Amino acid sequence: MALIKRLYNWLDLRIGAKEIVEQELTGYLLPKNINEWYSLGSVLLVIFTLQVVTGLLLLVYYVPDAEKAFKSVTYIMNELPYGWLIRLCHAVGSNMMVAVLIMHMLSTLFMKSYKSPRELNWLTGFMLFTLVQGISLTGYLLPWSQLSFWATTVATNSAAAIPVVGPYLVEFLRGSKLVGPATLGRFFALHVGVIPAVIAGLIGAHLFCLKRTGISTPPFGANTETGTHWSPEHYRYESHPGGIPFFPNYALQDLTSISVYFAVFLAVVFFAPNLLFTPDAFVPANAFQTPAHIKPEWYFLANYQTLKIFPSELLGLSVQAAAMTFLALLPFIDRSPERNPFKRPLFLACFFGGFLLWVGLSVWGHYS
Amino acid sequence: MENDGRRKFLGVCLAGASAAAAAAVVYPVFRYLAPRSDQQGSNKIEFAESDLPAGEAKFFEYAGSSAVLVKTSAGAVVALSAVCTHLGCIVQWEKDKQDFLCPCHAGRYTPDGTVVSGPPPRPLAKIPVSVANGKITVG
Repeated sequence: MALIKRLYNWLDLRIGAKEIVEQELTGYLLPKNINEWYSLGSVLLVIFTLQVVTGLLLLVYYVPDAEKAFKSVTYIMNELPYGWLIRLCHAVGSNMMVAVLIMHMLSTLFMKSYKSPRELNWLTGFMLFTLVQGISLTGYLLPWSQLSFWATTVATNSAAAIPVVGPYLVEFLRGSKLVGPATLGRFFALHVGVIPAVIAGLIGAHLFCLKRTGISTPPFGANTETGTHWSPEHYRYESHPGGIPFFPNYALQDLTSISVYFAVFLAVVFFAPNLLFTPDAFVPANAFQTPAHIKPEWYFLANYQTLKIFPSELLGLSVQAAAMTFLALLPFIDRSPERNPFKRPLFLACFFGGFLLWVGLSVWGHYS
Repeated sequence: MENDGRRKFLGVCLAGASAAAAAAVVYPVFRYLAPRSDQQGSNKIEFAESDLPAGEAKFFEYAGSSAVLVKTSAGAVVALSAVCTHLGCIVQWEKDKQDFLCPCHAGRYTPDGTVVSGPPPRPLAKIPVSVANGKITVG
C-alpha cells in the first residue's frame, strides 16, 4: 500500500492526479436519490469493450472469404483452445449489448431523462442504438452459415419495398444481385472498421453531453423536484450539491451492476451456449438451398412481424420508419416540464402500451 | 485494531479474487493465441530415394520449420535444418559449389552443415535420416 501511495504522490507531483480524482471521482457528486438504473451506461461501456477485445481475438483466425469463412469459424470453435469461449462471448455479448441498451433506453424514457437540456444525450444514444443493431446485423453474416446467409438475404431484401430506389439499394447493400462473396466483403468492412469507429465516436459524444449537462435527477423519492427548471437562455451545468460522490459510493453500484451482468452473461455462455444458435447456424451457407422458417435475431422479430401484418411491405416499412422517427425526436415532441411518469398517465399508458406491443410483436414473430 | 484487521483481510480477499479473475481471463487468451504444438508438422517424412539425385538438395517443411535433404556427390544422404544459425534466414543450395550459402550475410556451410566462412556461430542443426528399401525417412 505504501508503494501505491508513493506512486500516487509521484504522479500527483507531475500531472496533478489528486486534483483530477477530486474533480472527476470523489468530488463528482450525483443526485441523492440516484438509482441502480443509472449504472446501465457503465455496464454498456464494459460490454462494448469486451466486444472489441473478443472481436480482435476472433480476427486473428477468422478469414473473411466466402470459401473459408465458415471453416475458419468452425476451426475457432472446435480446434483452437478456448476458441469456443471467445466466439461465444462475442456472439452472446452482442445480444446482451442490445438487451442492456434497450433497458438503458427504457429507463431513460421512464425517468424522462431525455427532456431538455438533454436532447443531444438522447439523440446520440438513439444513434448508438441503431448502430448497435447495424453492427449486429453485419456481424451476423460473417460466420457464413445457412442461418447467417439467409437471415441476411431476408433482412437486406426488406429495403426493396422502398419506392423507386429500393431494388438498387438492395443491390448496393449486397454488392451484387444476391447475397454472396461481395456482401461478405462489405459487411466485414462495416462490422470491424466503419461501425465500431462511429460507435466509439458517438460514445465519446454521448459521454461529453453527459459531462456537460450533468447527471439528471430521478423524478422519484421524497422532496424531489420533478419538473425541469432549465431556462434555454443560458447554458447551465446541473450540479448536485450535498449529493453522493461517484467514487467510492456510486462506483460500487456500477461494479455491482457489472457483476450482475457478468453472472447472467456467463450463465448463458456456459450453461445455454446454443440458446442463440439454431441448427442452421452449424451448416455452411448454400445459395441454392433455402432452409425453412428463417427468422431474424430476436431484436428484429417485431420489425419482421410488422412487415408481415401489413398488406404492403412499403406500408410496414413506413410505419416502422415513423415509429423510429417519433422515438428519435421524442425530446422535441414531449415538451412538458413534468418528469414524474406517475403524474402523466397518458405517457405511462403509451410507455407500457408501446413496450407490450413490441414484446407482443416479437413473440408473434417468433411463433408465426 | 479490529477494524484494521478486518480491512486488511477484506483487502487480501479482494486482491485474491481479482488475481483469480485476471488469471481466468489471461490463461484462455494465452492458450488461444499460443502457437499449436500439433501444427508443427509430422515427425516422420518419407521421400523416394530416386527423387534426390546425387549433388542435389531438396527443401521441405519439417516440425514447423524449414529443412533440407542433400545427397552429396559421394552418395551420402544428410538432413539438416535450413535455418541459418546466424540470424535465421533460410540457406540456399549452390549446386555448382556443392555448399550452402546464406544470402543474408554470406554465411557458408558444407553439405554436412559445418561452417566454412562468414558469421554463423554454429553448424546447421542435423536431423535424423535413414535410407532403406529405396526410401529416405527423415525424423
